[in-house]
This record gives sequence, C-alpha cells and structure tokens, in this order.
Amino acid sequence: MPNKNGSVYGLTILSPIIDDEKVTPSHDLQIRKYLATLPTGELSPFALAPATHLARLVVMDDVIYVGMPACEEHLKSKYLVFESNCDGELDDYLAGLAASVPEQLDAIWSHCVGYPGAANRQAFIDYMKACQLETTFYFAAVNDKSVPETLRALQTQHAVSEFIADHQGMEPARLQAEFMQFVAELKLAPVPRPGSMGEPRYIKTGGRNE
Amino acid sequence: MSRLNETDIQGFVLRGYNLPVARYLFLHFEDAERARSLIGRLLHHVTTGQRWDGGKPQSTVNIAFTQRGLAALNLPDATLLSFPVEFQQGMKKRAGILGDSGLNSPERWDELWRGDLVHAWLGINAQSAAILDSRYAEMLELMRETGGATVLASQDAAAVVIDGKSTTREHFGFTDGFGNPDYLGVDRSSQPGQGKRMPNGSWAPLATGELLLGYADEAGELPVAPVPHILASNGTFMVYRKLHQNVATFRSYLDEYAALYGGGKEKLAAKFIGRWRDGTPLDLSPDNPDSSIAQDPNRSTNFTYGADAEGTRCPVGAHIRRVHPRDAFGFSGRLINRRRITRRGLPYGPFVAEGGPASDSEERGVIFMALNASISRQFEFVQQQWIEYGNDAHQGNDKDILMGNHGGRGKFVVQGDASRANPPLICSKLPNFVELRGGDYFFLPSITALGMIAMNLVDPR
Ligand code: HEM
Repeated sequence: MPNKNGSVYGLTILSPIIDDEKVTPSHDLQIRKYLATLPTGELSPFALAPATHLARLVVMDDVIYVGMPACEEHLKSKYLVFESNCDGELDDYLAGLAASVPEQLDAIWSHCVGYPGAANRQAFIDYMKACQLETTFYFAAVNDKSVPETLRALQTQHAVSEFIADHQGMEPARLQAEFMQFVAELKLAPVPRPGSMGEPRYIKTGGRNE
Repeated sequence: MSRLNETDIQGFVLRGYNLPVARYLFLHFEDAERARSLIGRLLHHVTTGQRWDGGKPQSTVNIAFTQRGLAALNLPDATLLSFPVEFQQGMKKRAGILGDSGLNSPERWDELWRGDLVHAWLGINAQSAAILDSRYAEMLELMRETGGATVLASQDAAAVVIDGKSTTREHFGFTDGFGNPDYLGVDRSSQPGQGKRMPNGSWAPLATGELLLGYADEAGELPVAPVPHILASNGTFMVYRKLHQNVATFRSYLDEYAALYGGGKEKLAAKFIGRWRDGTPLDLSPDNPDSSIAQDPNRSTNFTYGADAEGTRCPVGAHIRRVHPRDAFGFSGRLINRRRITRRGLPYGPFVAEGGPASDSEERGVIFMALNASISRQFEFVQQQWIEYGNDAHQGNDKDILMGNHGGRGKFVVQGDASRANPPLICSKLPNFVELRGGDYFFLPSITALGMIAMNLVDPR
C-alpha cells in the first residue's frame, strides 16, 4: 500500500513556492537561508515534535537541462519538498508538528502559495494534505518500530553492551545481583530524547562512493 | 585482454619484491631542468615488471611523485589539473575524510610530513643491508652529479628478523602478506581467494583497471586519469602512510582482556585479526593454528565468510574481515570488487619479541603502501567506511580494532557460541594501537611516462 510500510508512514509534500518579483531576496532564497541555519540534532524541529524517524526539506528550483539529446523542460513553479518517515496516522502527525513547532513551520511554509499558518490547526492539516504526493520509497534504515521503541532499543543496546563490558568475568552471584539492579534501573530510565542517541560523527563525505 | 607490457610498468606495481631491506628516500626538486635530467638518468635504474627468469635482482629502484613534485617538474597546468582531486589535494587535506584527527591529526605528524616539500618517493629494496647501502650511494651520486634533487629524509624498513631468519611478521606478532588481489593480465599464477568471487564459487582475477590506469575497471569504465592518456596508462597511484605501532599498549591490552576470555590469549589475538599469529585463517581453522593451511597457497587465502554470518569463527569486526569482506555482504562478493587495494608495505623499527622490553615511544611500525587506480574509490573508501566506521559490517560506530582512531572509547565485539572454548567477549575502552605519523599520495608512472617527463614532452593536447 502506498504511503504506509508496516507501521511507518511515508509522507511526501510538494508545496509551490511564491513567485513574487517584488520580493527580495526571493522566497526560495529566504527558505534556503532559513533551512541552512536549522539545527539537526536534539534541537531540530523534527526532534522537538513527536514521531519523526527521518525528515528532509529540499528547495527544488527546476529540472536541470543536461544537453542533447534531452529536450529542455521547465517546472511551472519552484517547490519546497518535504519528506518524512513518521509514526501513526497522517492527521495526528501533522497536528503534532503544528502543536510543537508552529514558529518553525510558519517560518518555512509562509513562503509557499496558499499556506494558512499552523495556528489554524484544521486549515494547516488540509493544506498539507492538498500538497501531498503518493510515497512508494522509504528510508531503508527505518524498521517497523515506532520512534520511542527505536530510542528505547538503542538505549537498551548501549546499556547492555556497557554492562557486559564492565561485568565480564564477575563471580556469578554478584553478577546476578548487579544484573537485576541494572534491569530495574533501565526499566525506570526515561526514553531518551530524539536526536540524542547518535554518536557525533565527524567524518565528512566526499569519497567517491560510486 | 592481451598481456600487459611488463617492460613498461614499474616492477613495484606488479609484484611484492620480497626483498628483506628497503630505504625510501623523499626528494625535493629545486630546478625543473636538473630534476628532469636526474629522472632521465634514473630511467636506466628503474626496475620494471619484467619477469625475473634469470633470478631475483640484488636490488630494485622505483620512483613516484606527489602533485607538488609534478608541478615542480613543470608539467603543463592542463595536465596537473586533470589528476583526480584527492591526488591534487594530497593526504593532509584529506584528513577529514580519512578520520585522521586526534592522535592521528596532521599537526602531530613527523616534521617531514607536516611540511609541503616532498616531491618524490624513491624506493630502494635490496637483498642485504650492504647491497642497500651501495645502491643508495649510487642514487646519491646520481643526485649529486645532476643536482636534480635533495634528499629531505629517508625511511628505512625491513622484514622482521627472528632467530636470524627474515620473516613476514609485523610488530604485533602476526604473519602478514597473504591477502593481495590478482589482476587480469598480470603474469602471476593466480591464487584462490585473491581475486574476485564468482557466482559459481570460483575465483577470477580482478579487472586490470582496478590497479592500472588506462584499462577497464570492474564497472567497465576507465579510471579517472590525467591527460594525455599516454602519461597515465600503465601507471597507478600509491598511498604512503607511516603507521606507528604502540606495541606495549597492544600487548598489555591483549593480556588484560585475555584474562577475561575463556578461549585463551592466542585465540583472542587471532580474533582481533581474523588469522592466528602464524597466518592460519580463523574461518578455516577456528580452534587452533594449522601451519599446513597457512603455508599452502591453495588454502591460505581460500576462504569466505558466508557460512559464518554470525562471526562465531571469525568476528564480523576482525581486521581482515573488515578490510576485505569477501562474500560477507552477499551478492557473491560483487559489492566489494571496486574496493580492493594492493599492499606493498614493510615494517620499520626494531622488533621486540613477546615478553621483551617493548615501549610505545620507540620508533616502530609499518610503512603502509597501497596501490590502486582510484585512491578515493579504493583506499579512502576502505579507510573511511570499513576502518573508521562499522555500518557496512553491522558493527554500528565500532571501528577496526587494530587500526581504528578509538581515542580510548572504542569497542570490539568477539562473537562467540555456547561452547567453553569459544565464548563471546566485549573489548571496550580501546586505545589507539596504531597512530599515523604522516604520508602522502603519489603517482607511480609507467616507464614511457617517466621518459616523457624526463624529456619534457608531456603534452595534454
Ligand atoms: C599497523 C598497521 C597494520 C597492521 C599491523 C596490519 C596487519 C595485518 C595483518 C596481520 C593481516 C593478515 C595477513 C594477510 O591477510 O595478508 C592484514 C591483512 C590486510 N590488511 Fe592490514 N594491517 C595494518 C594496516 C592496514 C590498513 C591501514 C589497511 C587498509 C586501509 C589494511 C588492509 C589490509 C588488507 C586489505 C588485508 C588483506 C585481507 C584479505 O585479503 O583477506 N591494513 N593486515
């Protein structure tokens, strides 16, 4: 079924960007500038709002002419592309975004044609759905678990491997006691915040990964 | 394809010389014309890939250039700018991509490599120290006569000698020098496990273009190469890295974790690498070393990981499984055929036997030299994705245990089973066993190309 892969929802939205000669810098440039400064870690709007596995925002200018024998074609408008792999039903997800990060949504989408603002919840949801395209491809690393389940699993994996590393070779009775305590503590530990579980990776891309 | 013209290819490219001692000279050119006359004179000395039917030579000479070296020789800009980007940039500028940060960062390299003066590598290999010295003197004399180059520094390297016999051991005590690819057209009897894996389970040589410029590679493409074609053809790129080994740290870490490991110290050491110290592959003999396998060319590299998906024989993160995963990623190995490198390294520094007084600070390590048609697609990919990152091997952020830039926070999982002799183990708080002390990217031209450079005939049009 399109848009749904197991429990994961695949959302693709194309919002036409306002084309207004009188505005400088143009709306597409203003979106680009804002996106370039958005945080990507725990402070990303998609980490602050619930239920996003992976989100991507792209400004699409036009189709690129690659020369003969291709023919030259153009889009009618520039578009903001929003892709997200998320949990649950679409209405709930969009409502969650509007409730948690309305300023960020408005800062981005106010440059798009017909955007009603996040404050008017139903109009916002209707607008996003009017811009929706069918999704058939998903981010491969998202499995059939929800965001909190995934965060919990990562937390458990890190904690267990640390526990093993610190307790290898321990005498059995003491090991059992410590393990029980470890399990009890882990159960009580809060679910980690989205965006907090990845190790910072300083590796730059740029290898020819063809 | 037809047989390669071995007389046009530097011998260092086509074969590991297996000569016990070497000296690598790092040259600086002050004047293009004099440097060219030096190269012209050197041409008569450069060892080619011609077969050694009359027996091994007493010594060999080979030469390679950095981008700055080629610029100092006044190659036309249109040629210089046509080299692949990573070669133009040099290794130091690639530090971000290679993960050469922290203890491995360029600010900590040897003085020679912190600077930008190295123009060429002149490699001499010899049967003995005395022969090496006399060939070296001959090279110095050539440089003196022509005024073509100054020697900025030299690096000695040599096979580790144990009980008076020269060996293929490296300083951590492992036997090295088994795995290296076979290439189409290279006149060497091919060995099972060295080339690429075919769907029917046999092994075939890799496409020539994975090693040499000017030939089709595994994708049927010509590797990115400079113009004119004749300058590039029959040449290759060399990665030179001086890798310092912290032998004391390695030994005490191994002792510390061996105390926690039911399989015993030697088995744990083997799990790090994927081979027992004598070279026996873990996947062929998981319980003990077996010299009859290690010494049999039909078996020593003839293995795969497909039947050991859990890593209970050879850990999924073991050094040789990471850097040459064979069939481990499925698709009968096709995902890795464009990520192979040819290794030509030798150890440097005095060997200290197990139990001897080893320190980290003594100069000791491996001069790692790898040849490949595309530094970015082959060496850099292996270094970035398979050594400094673990995702392809399903090891998350874990790095190669041996080579990783762990900074004291590394982790390595030894997968095991329920048996007493093969338990699982987690090695944590990994330090850097190996530290980078410098190096660069070099172009190793063909004999024809060397002649063109010497005669100032390189014409990009
Ligand atoms: C101090 C540095 C290093 C040491 C001590 C070391 C040690 C070893 C040993 C003991 C082997 C097993 C022998 C064999 O299969 O030939 C091996 C194999 C290998 N190593 Fe390393 N290594 C080092 C650095 C590197 C680096 C930096 C790379 C790549 C970027 C690398 C790539 C390989 C490859 C491709 C093989 C052959 C694997 C196969 O074909 O199965 N090594 N190394």
